[in-house]
Amino acid sequence: MATMFEENGPSTHEQPDMSSSIQAKQKLEGLLNKNMRIRMTDGRTLVGLFLCTDRDCNVILGSAQEFLKSTDTFSQGEPRVLGLAMIPGHHVVSIEVEADSLEDSQGFVAKH
Amino acid sequence: MVIKSSVEDDDSGWGLGIPDKMKNNANWVDITHDFKGACKELNLGELLHDKLFGLFEAMSAIEMMDPKMDAGMIGNQVNRKVLNLEQAIKEGAIKVKDLSLPELIGIIDTCFCCLITWLEGHSLAQTVFTCLYVHNPDLIEEPALKAFALGILKVCDIAREKINKAAVFEEEDFQAMTYGFKMANNVTDLRVTGMLKDVEDELQRKVKSTRSRQGEQRNPEVELEHQQCLALFNRIKFTRLLLTALITFTKKETSSVAEAQKLVAQAADLLPSIHSSIQHGIQSQNDTTKGDHPIMMGFEPLVNQRLLPPTFPRYAKIIKREEMAAYFGKLIERIKAVCDVINTTNLHGILDFFCEFSEQSPCVLSRSLLQTTFLIDNKKVFGTHLMQDMIKDALRYFVSPPVLSYKCCLFNNHQAKDYIDSFVTHCTRPFCSLIQIHGHNRARQRDKLGHILEEFATLQDEAEKVDAALHSLLMKLEPQRQHLACLGTWILYHNLRIMIQYLLSGFELELYSMHEYYYIYWYLSEFLYAWLMSTLSRADSSQIAEERILEEQLKGRSSKKTKKKKKIRPLSKEITMSQAYQNMCAGMYKTMVALDMDGKVRRPQFELDSEQVRYEHRFAPFNSVVTPPPVHYIQFKEMSDLKKYNPPPGSSDLYLAASKHFQQAKLILENVLSPDPEVNRILKVAKPNIVVTKLLAGGHKKDIKVLPEFDFSAHKYFPVVKII
Repeated sequence: MATMFEENGPSTHEQPDMSSSIQAKQKLEGLLNKNMRIRMTDGRTLVGLFLCTDRDCNVILGSAQEFLKSTDTFSQGEPRVLGLAMIPGHHVVSIEVEADSLEDSQGFVAKH
Repeated sequence: MVIKSSVEDDDSGWGLGIPDKMKNNANWVDITHDFKGACKELNLGELLHDKLFGLFEAMSAIEMMDPKMDAGMIGNQVNRKVLNLEQAIKEGAIKVKDLSLPELIGIIDTCFCCLITWLEGHSLAQTVFTCLYVHNPDLIEEPALKAFALGILKVCDIAREKINKAAVFEEEDFQAMTYGFKMANNVTDLRVTGMLKDVEDELQRKVKSTRSRQGEQRNPEVELEHQQCLALFNRIKFTRLLLTALITFTKKETSSVAEAQKLVAQAADLLPSIHSSIQHGIQSQNDTTKGDHPIMMGFEPLVNQRLLPPTFPRYAKIIKREEMAAYFGKLIERIKAVCDVINTTNLHGILDFFCEFSEQSPCVLSRSLLQTTFLIDNKKVFGTHLMQDMIKDALRYFVSPPVLSYKCCLFNNHQAKDYIDSFVTHCTRPFCSLIQIHGHNRARQRDKLGHILEEFATLQDEAEKVDAALHSLLMKLEPQRQHLACLGTWILYHNLRIMIQYLLSGFELELYSMHEYYYIYWYLSEFLYAWLMSTLSRADSSQIAEERILEEQLKGRSSKKTKKKKKIRPLSKEITMSQAYQNMCAGMYKTMVALDMDGKVRRPQFELDSEQVRYEHRFAPFNSVVTPPPVHYIQFKEMSDLKKYNPPPGSSDLYLAASKHFQQAKLILENVLSPDPEVNRILKVAKPNIVVTKLLAGGHKKDIKVLPEFDFSAHKYFPVVKII
């Protein structure tokens, strides 16, 4: 029974995992309005303010800029201003945030 | 140089909310795993967001990797350096002198294609200004290229000015933004045409010197050079003629229009040889199979990227060179057609001209040229006639109102003059707007026609008041004459025309569903065309009355016999056509009702709306009109109720009746003396429909519930009914 519920989504088994779900939410909330760099499946990179996400990891970035291919050097290619952009979860390859902005958001720091 | 300055000095400009440190490779930390894991903890449908950011804001986000919204998705990744003109010259990426003939031909052809793409609604920055040479022709040393670059800039500038002035475009037609590019404003038009002419003469000398002489052994190299020189010569000449024609359009004299027509005709003559010499020009050199954009020497599609709004596609699709000559050919045909407007002197004729011209869905440039040719500087028609005089002439032609007759005492009456003059002045603006509406694209026209009905309703009211005032004045002076509903009839006529066009254009724009056809055709046949015909016959009898008075006055003075020969009534053609249209609509209405009875019309499951809601929406603009009063849904249902007949007709009776209407329309049209294309188009629908409805009346395929098809290919407003 328990496994079945798990597949149906976390909503039904809130009781035991309450703390982890709250923790996760706090983690994500700590990232809101931080600069985020997302690499997409087609090789492009978007940089913008993290505004919104959901269970499928769809992410909305504000004042987003699109960079082509190379992610490490900003010298190559000018960015294109996109404004508000939503990246579907299944197109997200990697997510990065600036190190300094992690200082005040707990949870993510531990790893790095 | 363009306002856009070099890359280095405005680096900070696009930082938009992004701290500088980021550009210096800020310390990015990968959190992909944690982030995705944390997301999974969220509930289905739960959004994690800031207090100030909600679902509403989220909706306006563009979706990445969606081909419709994400313009940067396909084939946009390039690995090359984007250079502007100065940089390209410094790096030796483009030549500014000693260009070969094939290079010049290729550059010019690509420029022409860009020009066409711009005229078809793309932005200048992504079309003509992808050519680096036009960014600053002063830097070009090659005389032919310099003259051409200036020429194309002038063409763009004049076209833009014309289109802006005519104001008959919407964002889907035309991008008026120039992004601060200089359009060769520092050089006069005359200087540019002069430069083009010099280049042309120089090339002509070369063409002549390389021409084959009799009996001479032809050197293939010389022959090739000859061909290439000729190709370039034709292109430069075409540019000059196009530019000169556009310049001529800006002159105020009426004669200039005829001159422009001559010039574009000359330009059109060059097109076949331009088309056949396309292969002489160089082609783009990079590999486009990997989705990259074709790059020509001298062109950089990405050079203006930063001037564009965020969601613009990175590249505009430039038309192919092979299609260039055909497009120019059609453009010139349209411009020639525009020039013919000056041969029409009557306002009604001009209005018809605009309607007919617009029916071919012409391009924005030709539409704008038509507008600016009609009203020069918004004051005088063709630069010579006052709009007020045109309106008075139209009134005389249509209803011959006594107040405008030289033989009537009202003509010189002070008060009557005041009345009519102020009425005519009030007419000016709505009629100018009506003509301007016909310059817009087809879809926008419909919307605007719905709105202008309000203005005409006000005019209608005034016309009736002026009629009444003039009538009482006339009764005192000449009791045997009348001034009843003259001006009113004229305005009503235009009202009805607008309403009819509004409804009919819905068919052309494919707005109506099949189950809506019946009430649209009903409204047209039973109501609008019926009103139109009675309006026309009232105008006709008003003309006859006025002519009789004139005749009597003539007889009184001289005993000379007036001609007994029957004159063709001026409005007879229009009356006949209205009868034909009415019969076509009536036939369609009855066919639709009968098809519905047989269960051959698919009706929607009305859940949130009803037929009444749709009906009211379709005729909503008519609510502002007083005469004719709008027919509300309840009235329509009562009037079209078949139960009022005894016995109520069945589907076969209705098919038969429809067949008779189509037959009637055919008869009327076949008797038209000089049939125009429109007559033939309607006949093409009427004939098959006679047969189909007769078959249906006989019970053909009555039980088969296959839905009929409506084929609008023969006529925009009336379909051929097809039962399969």
